[in-house]
Amino acid sequence: MEPQAQTTESPMRRTVEAAVMIALGTAFVVASILCQKDSLFGKNANDRIEAVGIIIAAALTLIMYSFLYRDNPLFKIAENVYIGAQLGYGAINTWRLALRPQIYNPLALAPSNQALWDALVFRSVPILLGVLLLTRLSRKHGWLSRYSYSMMVGWGAGMTILVMTDTNILQQLQAAAKPIQAGVTADAGWWANAGAVTGALTVLVGTVCVLFYFFFSIPHGPVGQRVSKTGIWFLMLSFGASFGYTAMARISLVIGRMRFLLFEWLKIPQ
Amino acid sequence: MPANDTQGLIRTRRIIYLLVAAAIIVPYVIQMPIPSFHAQEEAHKVYDRVESLPAGSRVLIAMEFDPNCEAELRPMAEGILRHCFARKLVPILVTTNYIAPALISDICQKIAKETGTVSGKDWVFLGYRPGMANVVITMGESIQRTFETDNFSQTTRDMPALAGVNSLKDVSLITVISLGDTVNMWIQYGSDRLKVPLVAGVTAVMAPDLYPYLNTGQVKGILAGLRGAADYELLLHRSDDAAKGMQVQSVAHGLLIALIIGANVRFLFRRAQGKEA
Repeated sequence: MEPQAQTTESPMRRTVEAAVMIALGTAFVVASILCQKDSLFGKNANDRIEAVGIIIAAALTLIMYSFLYRDNPLFKIAENVYIGAQLGYGAINTWRLALRPQIYNPLALAPSNQALWDALVFRSVPILLGVLLLTRLSRKHGWLSRYSYSMMVGWGAGMTILVMTDTNILQQLQAAAKPIQAGVTADAGWWANAGAVTGALTVLVGTVCVLFYFFFSIPHGPVGQRVSKTGIWFLMLSFGASFGYTAMARISLVIGRMRFLLFEWLKIPQ
Repeated sequence: MPANDTQGLIRTRRIIYLLVAAAIIVPYVIQMPIPSFHAQEEAHKVYDRVESLPAGSRVLIAMEFDPNCEAELRPMAEGILRHCFARKLVPILVTTNYIAPALISDICQKIAKETGTVSGKDWVFLGYRPGMANVVITMGESIQRTFETDNFSQTTRDMPALAGVNSLKDVSLITVISLGDTVNMWIQYGSDRLKVPLVAGVTAVMAPDLYPYLNTGQVKGILAGLRGAADYELLLHRSDDAAKGMQVQSVAHGLLIALIIGANVRFLFRRAQGKEA
């Protein structure tokens, strides 16, 4: 999101904003206590913990939305908490679900000498390559990480070129080069078949026109310019569809947070 | 830009934010009825694909999302899990997103409690492994070797939910519920390579990128955004979070359309007056 322009403000306005802030904070605390009182002051410890979690989540949500009014210190704190919590959580998960079962347990807690030997044989090279990546942190020994990177790049390119060519080029070309009447079936109605043919024709015209728009090797004459303009129209329609879906996605996310605030924090009956 | 214009722009933005907030809160508070809608063809295809599997089939569900997109993707994940359990299918859940495991565990445990199913027997959550495409490739060779234990530290060898399943080739369907482009990864290294059908549930932002794969048949069906999740709930004859969000989304979309039309009319009007270039 684009940061909002900072404007010079009068001390009066700052005082009013501070007063509104205190009032909103007080309202938040009162609303939280009133709405979560059954869980907060109940006998079940799990309910109490969950209520505290909901209140913290509600506070962070509202602080995040405060950015829409203006950038502020609370937003900055919440932003940093979010990033820190995500990284911390990720680090713990990586240890618990990857490093511990894949490296620590097989090597440090091997049940037998044979198991330890197997672990050393099969895991020492990958572990070494992983450790070499960390040498990037040192200026002197950073070059060692190139061995790991070269493996990664070489392997990645080798695997990806073949797979990408098939998935994203050959299969797409095959689908685009289908005969126009390929969608027509005997049991479908006239309208359905007409729709299939129209769709195939639209894809054909769209593909040719858009490709032509990006063909800069020859000057576009009067006919070429029309084809090129048609290509622009198809591109615009595509961008419009993407924008529409993006707007839908963003609204869905706001709906998710609002559902949380209304039904979990404020406990409005559904 | 002159200071007055900047102030006006900021004020206008704040008004739009307030209007959007009102468009979302008011329908919930006044409990607007859910609009009637028909499930889209792409969602039907996902439903039909799951419906057509015989009982006991293994369905791999890659849950590639975290709390960022919970609002859109959780209803889809819950809908597909409910459908699998209703059809006596065995979901094998997995993720390559390191933030996801707790959220997925929560979803699994909620649906398991609701349906009376047991981890390890009726379903399994394999957990997270780093490596993205490598995980898919090694799963194509052996699931048990890739995941020696599941997310709850139970050994996967001899696990009833994985009986008869050695690799990704042995599952009947791959379902990817994803917030990013990990669907491509599952198509490239999973379904295309191993010839296993794949359906996807994605955020609305990602949906346009996926339609070309639907045309080629590389993806058999798509659930796109909250609307896709609502479609799936409709097909399951349920009205959960996604369906309940439809009336709110309709109002919010109406507001956005009105704002776009209004802003364009204002622009044209000002241009006619010579105030805009």
